[in-house]
Amino acid sequence: MANVAKKVSWSGRDPRDDEDERAGETTPLLNGTGPGAAGGARQVRRELPRPYPNEIPHNEKLLSLKYESLDYDNSENQLFLEEERRINHAAFRTVEIKRWVICAMIGILTGLVACFIDIVVENLAGLKYRVVKDNIDKFTEKGGLSFSLLLWATLNASVVMVGSVIVAFIEPVAAGSGIPQIKCYLNGVKIPHVVRLKTLVIKVCGVILSVVGGLAVGKEGPMIHSGAVIAAGISQGRSTSLKRDFKIFEYFRRDTEKRDFVSAGAAAGVSAAFGAPVGGVLFSLEEGASFWNQFLTWRIFFASMISTFTLNSVLSVYHGNAWDLSSPGLINFGRFDSEKMGYTIQEIPIFIFMGVVGGILGALFNALNYWLTMFRIRYIHRPCLQVIEAMLVAAVTAAVGFVMIYCSRDCQPIQGSSVAYPLQVGDQGSETLLEFVALGLAGSPAATLALLWGSPQLPLLTLSFLPFQLFCADGEYNSMATAFFNTPEKSVVNLFHDPPGSYNPMTLGMFTLMYFFLACWTYGLTVSAGVFIPSLLIGAAWGRLFGISLSYLTKGSIWADPGKYALMGAAAQLGGIVRMTLSLTVIMMEATGNVTYGFPIMLVLMTAKIVGDYFVEGLYDMHIQLQSVPFLHWEAPVTSHSLTAREVMSTPVTCLRRIERVGTVVDILSDTSSNHNGFPVVESNPNTTQVVSVVGRSLRGLVPPQVFVERANLSLVQRRLKLKDFRDAYPRFPPIQSIHVSQDERECMIDLSEFMNPSPYTVPQEASLPRVFKLFRALGLRHLVVVNNHNEVVGMVTRKDLARYRLGKEGLEELSLAQT
Amino acid sequence: MAPLCSQLLLLPALALAFSPAAGLEAPGEAEELAAEMVAELRAAGLPGDLPELEPECRRLLTAFAEGSATLSGCLARRARPVRLCQACGGLYRSLLTQYGDIARAVGNSSESHNCAKSILTSDRLQVVVTLSAFFNDTWEAANCANCIKNNSEGLSNSTQEFMDLFNKSLTCFEHNLQGQATDLSPNNYTEVCKNCNGTYKNLNDLYNKLQRLNRHGDESGHSAHLCIDVEDAMNITRKLWSRTFNCSVPCSDTVPVIAVSSFILFLPIVFYLSSFLHSKQKKRILILPKRIQSNASLVNIQEKYS
Repeated sequence: MANVAKKVSWSGRDPRDDEDERAGETTPLLNGTGPGAAGGARQVRRELPRPYPNEIPHNEKLLSLKYESLDYDNSENQLFLEEERRINHAAFRTVEIKRWVICAMIGILTGLVACFIDIVVENLAGLKYRVVKDNIDKFTEKGGLSFSLLLWATLNASVVMVGSVIVAFIEPVAAGSGIPQIKCYLNGVKIPHVVRLKTLVIKVCGVILSVVGGLAVGKEGPMIHSGAVIAAGISQGRSTSLKRDFKIFEYFRRDTEKRDFVSAGAAAGVSAAFGAPVGGVLFSLEEGASFWNQFLTWRIFFASMISTFTLNSVLSVYHGNAWDLSSPGLINFGRFDSEKMGYTIQEIPIFIFMGVVGGILGALFNALNYWLTMFRIRYIHRPCLQVIEAMLVAAVTAAVGFVMIYCSRDCQPIQGSSVAYPLQVGDQGSETLLEFVALGLAGSPAATLALLWGSPQLPLLTLSFLPFQLFCADGEYNSMATAFFNTPEKSVVNLFHDPPGSYNPMTLGMFTLMYFFLACWTYGLTVSAGVFIPSLLIGAAWGRLFGISLSYLTKGSIWADPGKYALMGAAAQLGGIVRMTLSLTVIMMEATGNVTYGFPIMLVLMTAKIVGDYFVEGLYDMHIQLQSVPFLHWEAPVTSHSLTAREVMSTPVTCLRRIERVGTVVDILSDTSSNHNGFPVVESNPNTTQVVSVVGRSLRGLVPPQVFVERANLSLVQRRLKLKDFRDAYPRFPPIQSIHVSQDERECMIDLSEFMNPSPYTVPQEASLPRVFKLFRALGLRHLVVVNNHNEVVGMVTRKDLARYRLGKEGLEELSLAQT
Repeated sequence: MAPLCSQLLLLPALALAFSPAAGLEAPGEAEELAAEMVAELRAAGLPGDLPELEPECRRLLTAFAEGSATLSGCLARRARPVRLCQACGGLYRSLLTQYGDIARAVGNSSESHNCAKSILTSDRLQVVVTLSAFFNDTWEAANCANCIKNNSEGLSNSTQEFMDLFNKSLTCFEHNLQGQATDLSPNNYTEVCKNCNGTYKNLNDLYNKLQRLNRHGDESGHSAHLCIDVEDAMNITRKLWSRTFNCSVPCSDTVPVIAVSSFILFLPIVFYLSSFLHSKQKKRILILPKRIQSNASLVNIQEKYS
């Protein structure tokens, strides 16, 4: 770098900066009111060149270099304009129809994937449970239960091992719930591999294995990611992983169009997961709202509806009652329509209090998970270590569950046995409960399991009963086991709907405590799994506990039905952890199928978010930060008005000329420090004003020799490059290193005027940060050129320049860039 | 039941036809009205017994009344311990026939058709229909169809087998209890547990087998239950066995379970400690951002600065 010396001389003037930087940590910037505001340039922090490579341990105040922006703004270069002009009115109509077709396909495929996951999990988990259960039943009589424990732990660990190996070694981006990644994608960050077919396959298999492996996880979050991948795949009409190109939908091969479909896919995923089509649309709205229009909303809603319908009809056929259409989502909270489930105005303060508890517990969850994730990033970064960790968690989960069941003496009579038929069940009269009761007829657990897996015509919900006798009297079951020895989805539904008195408070308390830590420990492992269901489960458990103690305090008042409080607790806990508001309210409302719960759920979620935000961020935002993703929030930090574009921008800018030497272009593209892939093309006019243009990322694919307009001074245009060439290369443009450019060719000239965007967005260098931010965020830009009064390029603003300002505890903070 | 809908339509018509129980008015009023009407009719010289039932219908109704009385008596007497299906099966079937006689046109004349009309659907209350529905529902809920032979008297073979075994185990319990002195502490039933274990196990296994068969055989899926007699018998036995005699499995191997689980719980601690100590901490290399002062605009700033 030629300007290193200048940097040194500059920073030499300000030794205070020097010390700050050496600490390797970012320091809070001064606020607008601070004394630095007057100081102008003094406010800006600078990195110092250091004799040694500046290595620091990973922390949350970093921005990774590996993430780029997506080109949500169409590059209006000549090629693009020519093509758009060629398309006539009728052709645009065809494009519109194609969009609808794609949305329908997204819906159908997402629904099918959800069905596949559901059915496979159901069967595999059933198989595993049957094996373990038979084993436990056998050893309960003979003694030697430790073998059962070992068997259970080993089974879990080995299943999770497979799930973790495929994630860790084949596609690490499939880890976790995928919601942070999709949030980033919709925000405009290009996360490598996030919407590939390979990711989808690994994600689906990984989810199945981790749920079957008995981890404290759900399969709902990953559905959102799966839907997004499906959408991205279908809309492109080809798969680069499979190396198949179906030559359809070529018009949609660019970031703008793909993003629209991905938001439809995410919505379809939510819709399939929770049976909440409106919730899905609102989820996409909440996460990607800056790029929105009403036609898109309508299309996304269409995709969501198709998705839940597909899931519904396929599952209804699978469960033997074709076209019953009563299982709209992967998780179904069951019906809350009996009179006891109603609520009165007096309960609103109680719900709000539950929201506060949920917020606090959620914040605790996030804080613990934060430390754990930090530790994982710093120390457990090798894939084999990650696999071992996942296995250990699986084994411990099994062991904890086993010990809890073993120690629990909470025996409950199996419902439906004639002696112990509780009257409340009859009173509640809810359909699901009756089915539930009908199923759990007095009998040995093995026989009930035979029922569970032998008769698919029973509705999904009834499969949730898994009586587990252990040391209970014959004809009774261990209620701790119902909560633990079950897939989390079923446990949630049990907690919502089991009649009052099915669980004793001690069981619930222990369960909440254990599950809280297990879920917290599990999230962030290298397995694909979601956090929705575990949060719901924790919340439902303490909510039910709350409800029980409430009815104890009020001497068994009629309104204190624990199931209702379990629902509110679940909402509070989930809201406290993920901090979604609008979409989560609607999702919960749709999943319960009860619109009247909308108001209390909204209040609970609101309170949980407010209380939780007081302590720490939401789990997804936290993970986005820990991944050092340059994520742009809705608004620029509130105190950032004092910063101007000049202080934000990167400079100096590597500029190109309209007719440039190939050698120069190749050198610039090969330079790793110029990884932003946007270069202003400047032109010197007689009056020294410079015309600014930006050549986008597509330049990468450009340099194949046929593009050189002047070969050996022959001025021979070999073949005109079309937009199609870019489309075919999208989204993985070949790296510059893969193109061999001979010494001879380096001397050729290349004309960039066809590829550059002649009308890029620019801002004057005096523009304030919030203004730049707004422009950048609202238009989905990748590069923003900063010009001075003479329209000369002085700098470039990219996503990382904007994202590095964040509102921290002590005011505005600046994040450092780091290689990760 | 089937006539439920049609009856609604019939009601007004019947009321017009001077039916004595036309229940659209308040009860007292209706009675009065009916009496008045009868009187009026008599005065008008119409057949005096028009509001009365046909003798044939009267006979059917009486038969049904007696049948239902016997059946409800039987049900109530057999409520605890539940022996509904065994004891009242015959009664229920005959009641069904009687109801059928009323509902279907038994005779060949149009009169008997009138029977169904006037008994079943003439009024709002429809006592006969309600009663019959109640019995049907109870029978359904008890799932008696499950343990009674199709279309014939007597228990099905498997149920018979189960009941025999049940009686055998009860006898065994009694026998062994008698053997013990009555002044023994209530928890000391080891004798029973030892001696009747085989019988009890057989009973339990048979019950489980029945349940499984029931589920697999019954494709229509309307009942996951066995019949109430069997369920209740099993419940009583289980309660006796587990609660009263306390013969359930004792909690035996706590030490190995604790050992194994603490071993498993110990593993992560080792793992995290060792990875903390031995794994190389991942370092991030900071990149120097290109900022304003390093360029031509530096001049600009410096001017401003000074």
